[in-house]
Amino acid sequence: MNTFLKRLLARPEAILFFVLVAEIVFFSVAGRNFNTSDNVANIVRHSAEIGMLALVMMPIILTGGIDLSVGSLLGLCAVIFGVFTHEWKMAMPLAAALTLGVGAMAGGVNAALITVLRLPPLIVTLGTFSLFRGLAEAITKGTMTYRDFSPEFIALGRERWMGLPLQGWLFILIAIGIAVLVHRTTFGRAFRAIGFSPEGSRYAGLPVQRRIAFTYVLAGIVAALAAIVFTARLRQARADAGTGYELQAITAVVLGGTSIFGGVGTVGGTLLGIASVAVLTTGLKLIPAIALAGIGSELGSLLTGALLILALAGGTLAKSLAVRRSRRQSHAAPKPTITT
Amino acid sequence: MKRYFRELSVAAALALLLLVLALVAPSFFSPQPLLSRLTAQTPSLVVAVGMALVIICRQIDISVGSQFGVCAVVAGLLAAAGLPLPVVLFTSIGSGMVMGALNGWLVAGLGLPSIVVTLATMVTWQEALRLFQQGKFVNLPPGTQWFGLRQLGGQTALICAALVLLALAAWAMKNLAAGRFIYAVGTDAEAARLAGINPRRTTLGAFTLLGALTGLAAVMNVVQSPQVQPTCGAGLELKVIAACVVGGVAVNGGRGNLWGVFAGLLLLAMINPALTSLHVEAHWEKAIQGLVILLAVVADGLRTRRSRR
Amino acid sequence: MKRSTFLTSLLAFALVTACDKKSDSSSAGNSSDGKKLTIALLPKSKGNQYFATVEKGARAAAAELGVELIYDGPTNTDPAKQNEIVEGWVNYGVNVIAAACENREGISGALKAAQEKGIKIVTYDSDTTPDARSFFVNQATAQGIGETLMDTAAKLCGEEGEFAIITATLTAANMTEWRKNIEARLAAKYPKMKLVTTKPCDDQKDKAQAEATNILNAYPNLKCIMAICSPAVPGAAEAVKQAGKAGVVKVLGLGLPSENRQYVKDGVTQAVILWKVEDLGYLTIQAAVAAAKGTLKTGDKTFTSGKLGAMEIQDTDIILGKPFVFTKENIDQFQF
Repeated sequence: MNTFLKRLLARPEAILFFVLVAEIVFFSVAGRNFNTSDNVANIVRHSAEIGMLALVMMPIILTGGIDLSVGSLLGLCAVIFGVFTHEWKMAMPLAAALTLGVGAMAGGVNAALITVLRLPPLIVTLGTFSLFRGLAEAITKGTMTYRDFSPEFIALGRERWMGLPLQGWLFILIAIGIAVLVHRTTFGRAFRAIGFSPEGSRYAGLPVQRRIAFTYVLAGIVAALAAIVFTARLRQARADAGTGYELQAITAVVLGGTSIFGGVGTVGGTLLGIASVAVLTTGLKLIPAIALAGIGSELGSLLTGALLILALAGGTLAKSLAVRRSRRQSHAAPKPTITT
Repeated sequence: MKRYFRELSVAAALALLLLVLALVAPSFFSPQPLLSRLTAQTPSLVVAVGMALVIICRQIDISVGSQFGVCAVVAGLLAAAGLPLPVVLFTSIGSGMVMGALNGWLVAGLGLPSIVVTLATMVTWQEALRLFQQGKFVNLPPGTQWFGLRQLGGQTALICAALVLLALAAWAMKNLAAGRFIYAVGTDAEAARLAGINPRRTTLGAFTLLGALTGLAAVMNVVQSPQVQPTCGAGLELKVIAACVVGGVAVNGGRGNLWGVFAGLLLLAMINPALTSLHVEAHWEKAIQGLVILLAVVADGLRTRRSRR
Repeated sequence: MKRSTFLTSLLAFALVTACDKKSDSSSAGNSSDGKKLTIALLPKSKGNQYFATVEKGARAAAAELGVELIYDGPTNTDPAKQNEIVEGWVNYGVNVIAAACENREGISGALKAAQEKGIKIVTYDSDTTPDARSFFVNQATAQGIGETLMDTAAKLCGEEGEFAIITATLTAANMTEWRKNIEARLAAKYPKMKLVTTKPCDDQKDKAQAEATNILNAYPNLKCIMAICSPAVPGAAEAVKQAGKAGVVKVLGLGLPSENRQYVKDGVTQAVILWKVEDLGYLTIQAAVAAAKGTLKTGDKTFTSGKLGAMEIQDTDIILGKPFVFTKENIDQFQF
């Protein structure tokens, strides 16, 4: 147990875990109605879409890439879903399936530009960030809003099953899927290897470009899924859906200990990152003093920014301390040289 | 010629756009709107110069929009309090330097990734400014606009100042040791260190300089109208990063030319006016803007791919 | 190792659900237990001088009536944010929610769910669907705003010629409503006028100025620019001034007197249309409290609201008064 605890504390995610626990304890005491099933449902509903985007952003960042276009793609897919159901009068399952296909194609555009032309992901997705949002606006002429979805569809954004909102279950499924993919399959372990050393992975025989392409296509599909969930929650599809979600997703991933340079990170950490931001921003608004001062939203963003810097700085400091300690130890007793 | 292929091709695209306009909508070139348009781009140009240095140094700063807003409000409030313009100018530059140096210290001193650090500082400055100012415009005293000159004089002065600054920076990047340091650190920080350059100090310097230029740009923006909007920096970071990228600055550092950035900025800035002059409907603008950025990078990708083979 | 992090996050999740209990029902929707009423005021966006002025009036009314006032709203353009804030308030247990709806249909679901929990809903500034609220504090309907803008523009242009619109974003729901009403009025009454283009300015004064410069250049016969979001009015005015077309191309729009005073006095901007914003906040809180206490009921014909006196009620709309047109002659009387 002692070594388990030690090992746990040595991980950067451990800090975040304690932050999350501290948040929950603090808001339970200081907040109003924080420990209620309604509040848990609120937190889950309000962060499900951003959480899904963060989950698929994680493998991308793990390979050393980034995708700034996911928020815009969410908007484009929402609009296209609206076109399918309202203009082309498709049945809901077919429209949903086709929307996922569009998401995959859009992710494929990113993937092709990044892996075939070997362009930097930051730039490619900066371009598609404008392009996808622009297409959404062009399709709707900016003004068209699709509403009046069927009640069964809207239930997806509203109903609960065993106390948890439906999109929460969807989120858990995706989380398990990504966790298994990244940590338990040889296919997905390649992501970390690629992020750690792309050249090395290539020499080791990994199909580097194909694996990278996969992460962007996956992000496209899940962004389309998030678009459908978003549409069900808001009961409407419009071109501005998902504005700014890309930065919030990246924040959650990086906060969760994934290195922005790739090669380091866990899905569990990403989940902790998503949860700690969601609990923080929701909890603050439930503290009467903050609510009455009228500064809930601003304070939430401010503290998220501060938390991000503290988590990063804390991680680096812990690492440099560890390095110093191990150096001191190695001075005392030089490591035995490894012979094979 | 071949070395500056990228910069020249952006300039060629800009020339082509202007040629189409000259044929279809010649009134685009009547002096007055042209002068106003160019003046309106001068703050972006000054920030883009700083951003180019940071990107060449293999870093990025997405907090410049928030910094710009803070500096503009600081400048506006000081001017409204009746302080003389030089004091306003130096305080604004100073505030920018402090914010830039903070980014630089977090990145170079603590070794944190710049995109994440500046994401956090972007949010922090933006929300702090919102809490402080509540979106209220700052009304400036008469005589602040155009530094108290006439409109024509003020616009000419701003354009000249921005161009002189650009030329100086481009010269310095080529001929001064500090400029070469930035290229060296951006190409390979470890090699630069072995060659006797201090990569940390160079990085810190690049961020601080960007902050100072952002402060200067904020004042150049403030003097263009009789009031300051606190959110005036929103979206500036994307605009200048896109200008750098289209202008041929490599995001993985070490490569880039300030004249290319100038051409990239002009190209992106002229798209919206051009579309209006060609009577294209507004809901196409964002898509076309994205397409231009993508085309620029795809062209670059195809060229390097060919040269790799 | 990896499993341990995954487990800890599951553990955290379990922790949240484990300490789960039912909502503290005494605080939700119960106004007769002698506790202070809690009123929540939702603006379309925060950090915006218009709504900061509304808040000022609202705080004055809240202090007068001895109620607690919560003020929160979106700080970015995420269209889901208003719904999320309302859902948070339902859980917090406020007594009344007073909302300015960015998105008429989009927010109605969240407001109806709040009503089901016994929370009174009042809307102000811009309405939701009538079944999702008790009263609407009406300073101007979308139709009223659209018609006043179009009529004023027509008067300025002599009922003929080209004009252009500058809006915040193409997707902003309430501005889309206004544009529809402007265009309907145009088609019905002013056949000799023509809307040549509509441009977005992202709520940025500088972008509005750039777009206005482009429009002036591209449409040399333009007679009028209509700016329907508040930062666009001074932006358009500055562009007209720099182009040396002050007085030739008229500028009008929805905006605050303090942001436009100089341009109106200089004759660049001809008309700024707005209502008494502080009174809107004051009246909204007065109505919200009265609705919660039951002194304001459906079917009432007038409503007596503190310092503002008796207000007319049409159906479920409490009427603040018609939109006000600020011109050179009267703008100095208004300080907000």
